[in-house]
Amino acid sequence: MGTTLLNPGRIGRAVLGATDYWKGFHELFFYSLRRLGALGRPPVRQVLFKQIYFTGIEALGAVTVIAALSGIVVTTQVTSLVGQDIALTAKIMLWTVVRELGPLLSAIAIIARSSSATASELASMKIRGEIDHLRFMGIAPGDYLLVPRVAGITLSVVAVTFYFQMTAIVMGYAFAAATGSLPFVKSITGVISTLSMIEVLVSLLKAFVFGLVISITSCYYGLRATGTVTAIPRAATGAVMRNLLTVFLLDGIISYVFFV
Amino acid sequence: MIRFERVTKGPIRNLSFDLGRGGTAKILFDSEDRKNILFGLLAGRQRPEAGKIFFFGEDLFAHAENERLALFRRIGVVPADGGLISNLKAWENLLLPAWYHHGLTAEQAEQPVAEIFEQLEAGEAGLKRRMGELPGQLSLYERRVVALARAMLMEPDILIYDFTFAGLERDAAQRLMNLTGEFHGRKAGRVSLYLCPDDAVSARLAADSTITLTQ
Repeated sequence: MGTTLLNPGRIGRAVLGATDYWKGFHELFFYSLRRLGALGRPPVRQVLFKQIYFTGIEALGAVTVIAALSGIVVTTQVTSLVGQDIALTAKIMLWTVVRELGPLLSAIAIIARSSSATASELASMKIRGEIDHLRFMGIAPGDYLLVPRVAGITLSVVAVTFYFQMTAIVMGYAFAAATGSLPFVKSITGVISTLSMIEVLVSLLKAFVFGLVISITSCYYGLRATGTVTAIPRAATGAVMRNLLTVFLLDGIISYVFFV
Repeated sequence: MIRFERVTKGPIRNLSFDLGRGGTAKILFDSEDRKNILFGLLAGRQRPEAGKIFFFGEDLFAHAENERLALFRRIGVVPADGGLISNLKAWENLLLPAWYHHGLTAEQAEQPVAEIFEQLEAGEAGLKRRMGELPGQLSLYERRVVALARAMLMEPDILIYDFTFAGLERDAAQRLMNLTGEFHGRKAGRVSLYLCPDDAVSARLAADSTITLTQ
């Protein structure tokens, strides 16, 4: 085990892989930024709307369940710890649900659904030569495939995060009210009065950064696929793993910068 | 309009030809590998080991990617497998470049596409009904019809046909052949380049010049 971990070849490959990833990530990020105007073309907007539908709207069912259960778990734990202290419960709900769980669990749900799907879709298009077919039509593959996916996934992550936070808080307090632990209206009012603009903005900033990372990483893994069909599952798993690691790392960094 | 100057790539050695305005040419191959190499060169996907390729008098490989894309807007390519985008329905595929570059809507495209289908159907109903299918559910003939109609909607100055009549039933191949011939004459100066297998179907294709690329 130790020998494997300290194998210079393995370490070298990991460093080269990470370097390639960051180089590719920056290229795709700046390309998307430069070519954002491509969204003005109706076929590109169609891809954008499809992406928002798939990543945002179709994910709402699963996100509702995860958010409701998370809210219920947090309120149950908090009320068992602090009793009927509405102000403290509201603060803890904000710290956990708005600051951390909302952005993080929404990102994880979207990584599970859309990151693997996007990476494998683009990988299979690349392997089938469809990227070249777009060039034959005079269409820049980056404008048609990359820009609407980056914009669509990023917007969806922000919207889904906001929806997650609202659902978790409402469902958590609804459960607490149903079990007689806390009064519903007073608790919700307590959360609203405790909530500051900075809390909301930082959590949405997190969601925005996660959305960018998830979309660009998924496109990067999909578009770099070459060779045979075995590259498709490799692209999907590569994108999911890299996204999970990066999202957790960024979550820690953003929380440290704004809340410590 | 298309000029090859002593182009060398793999088994293709020192290929030179000049296809001027309004011309048609067919290049016959005895091997699909050789054809794929030439198609890769024409598509700008592979660089020649030596020599130059010109479209409209401009060196294909002297340009950056976006300038090459601008050249391809004037060139229609009909790939052998249709070259359709797998997650778009046949109708969306057909409309994609014209919608993307010229903002052509489905309503505006309906008439010209109906005319193309009318010419092709000749007793074979159902082409229109298949337009709601994804490419994976279409036959090779249907995929090529979509690719052909897609290229035609762009009214290109150059059309490149990649084994468009190969592997089809005799009648279907003939209908496509007639359509491409008729389309060629519809715009003054249009150039048609056919890449064909060296077989009996290709022998029926009329062209101003023939180049044979065999061993």
